[in-house]
Amino acid sequence: MASLGTFLLLAAFVTCSYAAVISVAGARQRSRRLIESGIGAFYLICAIMTAASAVLINAFMTGDYSIKYVVHYSDSVQPILYKLTSYWGGLDGSIMFWVFLLSIFGSLAVYVNRERHRELIPYVVATISTVQMFFLFLMVVHKNPFTTYLTSAPTEGEGLNPLLQNFYMAIHPPSLYTGFVGMTIPFAFGIAALITGHLDDSWLRAVRRWTMFSWLFLSFGLTLGMIWAYEELGWGGYWAWDPVENAALLPWFTATAFLHSVMVQERRSMLRVWNVTLVIVTFFLTIFGTFMTRSGVVQSVHAFGDDPILARLFIGFMVVILAFSFGLLIWRLPLLKARNELDSWLSREAAFLVNNWVMLFAALFVLFGTMFPTLSEAVTGNRLTVAGAFFNKWMTPVGLILLMLTGVGPLLAWRRSSFANIGPQFLGPVIAGLASAALAIGYYKIPLWPSGLCFALCGFVVGTIGQEFYKGAAIRSRNSGTDLFTAMIGLVGKNKRRYGGYIVHVGIVLICFGFAGNARKLDEQMLLKLGQETKIGKYTIKSNGVKLVDDGQKQMTTAYLAVFVDGKEIDGLYPAQWRYRRHEQEPTTEVAIRRTPAEDLYAVLGGFDLADQSVTLQIVVNPLVNWIWVGFGIMALGTGIALLPERSFAFALAKMPAEAAATTVALLFIVLLSGGTTLSAQQGMGGDENTRTSFYARNPFEKQMQHEIVCTCGACGHQTLAECRKDNCATSHEMRGTLAAMIDQKMDHDQIIQAFIAKYGGEEMLGAPVDKGFSRLAWLFPYLVGATSAIAVGFAAVKWTRHADAPAAAPAPLDSALEERIDDELRDLD
Amino acid sequence: MTQRYIKLGLTATVLVLAFAGLMWSTLQDGTEFFKHVDEVMSNPQQWEGKPLQLHGYVVPGSILKRQDTLEYKFKVQNNPARDVSQGHVVEASYTGIVPDTFKDEAEVVLRGKLTTSGFHTDPNGVVAKCPSKYQEKQGAGL
Repeated sequence: MASLGTFLLLAAFVTCSYAAVISVAGARQRSRRLIESGIGAFYLICAIMTAASAVLINAFMTGDYSIKYVVHYSDSVQPILYKLTSYWGGLDGSIMFWVFLLSIFGSLAVYVNRERHRELIPYVVATISTVQMFFLFLMVVHKNPFTTYLTSAPTEGEGLNPLLQNFYMAIHPPSLYTGFVGMTIPFAFGIAALITGHLDDSWLRAVRRWTMFSWLFLSFGLTLGMIWAYEELGWGGYWAWDPVENAALLPWFTATAFLHSVMVQERRSMLRVWNVTLVIVTFFLTIFGTFMTRSGVVQSVHAFGDDPILARLFIGFMVVILAFSFGLLIWRLPLLKARNELDSWLSREAAFLVNNWVMLFAALFVLFGTMFPTLSEAVTGNRLTVAGAFFNKWMTPVGLILLMLTGVGPLLAWRRSSFANIGPQFLGPVIAGLASAALAIGYYKIPLWPSGLCFALCGFVVGTIGQEFYKGAAIRSRNSGTDLFTAMIGLVGKNKRRYGGYIVHVGIVLICFGFAGNARKLDEQMLLKLGQETKIGKYTIKSNGVKLVDDGQKQMTTAYLAVFVDGKEIDGLYPAQWRYRRHEQEPTTEVAIRRTPAEDLYAVLGGFDLADQSVTLQIVVNPLVNWIWVGFGIMALGTGIALLPERSFAFALAKMPAEAAATTVALLFIVLLSGGTTLSAQQGMGGDENTRTSFYARNPFEKQMQHEIVCTCGACGHQTLAECRKDNCATSHEMRGTLAAMIDQKMDHDQIIQAFIAKYGGEEMLGAPVDKGFSRLAWLFPYLVGATSAIAVGFAAVKWTRHADAPAAAPAPLDSALEERIDDELRDLD
Repeated sequence: MTQRYIKLGLTATVLVLAFAGLMWSTLQDGTEFFKHVDEVMSNPQQWEGKPLQLHGYVVPGSILKRQDTLEYKFKVQNNPARDVSQGHVVEASYTGIVPDTFKDEAEVVLRGKLTTSGFHTDPNGVVAKCPSKYQEKQGAGL
């Protein structure tokens, strides 16, 4: 099988070179046949890579330990989900996964655009094929995932690092890769446009959606990485300015900049050179990020070790990218002249421009900070490192400026705003900002810099967005005679990109809101003996000792902590340490988190002594942290709206009143969204097949009982029997079995409870009635959004049917300037 | 035209200078020297009081913890434990939770300052790599 894999990689390489050469030849000779042949070869790469992936996945599933990669990253007891994710568990597989994704995306992009952008396609094919060739070359000569043992092969694998055996970590890399790889498509179109000289705005239209899509996944990947760090690494925070994190953040900045500046080009035909540059830089940064973290150039505890060969190959490739792309750009400069100049600094394009500068500065700064140790060593001979504090010092003002621009931009008109206009435009948002500042600084006594200012700006931006929605909807409702709410849905439907963008901004505000919570972060480390108490914030925490349980796969040590507020016990926390059999040297910390909308109480078991029952704890109070995750949910929703396809929408519009179309699309989206979350929720349980299928409730009574009784395994953080199906929990399996048997004996509720108390002693196993609701709320957020929108949609449906036949009220030109402006923008932004 | 370029040039210069100045001033208190034990201990006076990231290996059997507190004392040597020569050795102190991977022979980076009485590690200043194949296996994050 391994040789088949290697052969497939070689075949893919050959096909890539064919596709690249034949496409360029076809384009130069204007031969339709050659170009078609290139496209065909391009699709073929996709097929070959799919086959190669199938071979590798098959090797993982069947445990083919003759392949080194399989030995390093899996073992036989690993759950199926993690066997699958072992595909990208290491560098070799990651590169292969990269090529696999790129071949899929590339084929899709070519397929979709093959008629519309016919002149660009051959060069798109050639560019993407060349990038693929580089990665395939890397695999074939240096990092072949199909390398086998020359002598006798081991009979068992070493297993994936337990830290990576986590649901978020399983989906974090593919999401990040999707974002990274997706950025290749805009780059390929950019290069094609430069080569062919078709530098009007049409290539931008082809890549806008791709960039948005990649941007979404990049954001998603970053968020997942943060959640993973927060829940699994157990140091109390979510972002540490580590080179690995920074590498993913760099292209995010430039991609965000591009998404904004592209609008300026569409509206005003300005910034054309700039946009091409951003596309090139974004792509370059995705490659550079990989290089930085994988080649050992930047030393960090998290970076992945020295590999000089890899470093040299990457450097060569990056030099080629830069020289080629910017060479082309300089050659084509005459074609890229802006058709307009900046009329006024008081205009939306100026706001976008500043936004772009700040974004680019942020990217350069993070790049500088990340490379600083390497740079300083090269220059001075002393290796100087910069700590997170340095990044925070610089990025806080940068973030605040960006947040402010988020609020200012939409209030300014294109071309120029007059001072007369600005007053009324800014009045509402500024009041909102001042009000939140007063609340935060006056009432909650939060220092002005930087958190107080952040809260104020959050208020300001929300004010802006609210005002935009309200004004747009008010005009639309006057013109169409519908009520405000219907008008709002119609408004979003009519101009998805703009209003989707605003929704994304709401998400950003929430994320900043969460970041600002750090001002009140508490972090303490202490040693507690049995029965001792400690106070942090409003909480008093009492240690009830520590227990050790072994489930056959791992040893689990759990600390039992009781949480008191005002002398009343409100909850229990059960932080734990797990030691997996094959990884005794690398215990994983199982953080206990008590989530509430206001703050998280976060406990890490740092050490323990079973003899005297003392525990070493790190307790953190993290205010507002959940709003970061919620904010991302909203950001995803907004991007989803902006991404909705144009044609289907137009088609629906032709058949139905506008509002109906919006409703349908919204409904579809909700269905998709909730479908997605259900799926992920199920995957989240992970575990092996036995536990997952074990004793599912057969009737409502059993279900109720499973929800009332808590698993005593001590490792799941006191989940109920219905929930504790994660990993290989033998205890909950057994307890569910006992429960099922009791139900079969026709025991009633109280009898069962009594029997369980008798068997397991104490009331430890009874479901704690305390508020654990929020942790679910945070994760069920998409459902909530879905439910509210469903209600909203229902309401709207009723409304517009009622108004359908009503004669349209004559539009009253109340505010003609504003109306004109909105009308103007509605017409051609999307 | 020339006037425009002068304006542009001036703006750019001012911006660059302002940026460089700010960068310099913040770098002053934001940076730490990354040094190996040998580099520092061959001339300890020179490094006393400077913010350091000290790289070394925990001397086997040297970790001491005061009963019922989080105070640690341990020794760090320049060379890995399996090497014949230890290289220079420095005494270090730390208060707080140590990472799970902090144990005998572990490769560590300590953040803190060197004093005449040994190396004082900052809170949360211990970063430890597992002596085994940790590095190779921290795979998926990209």
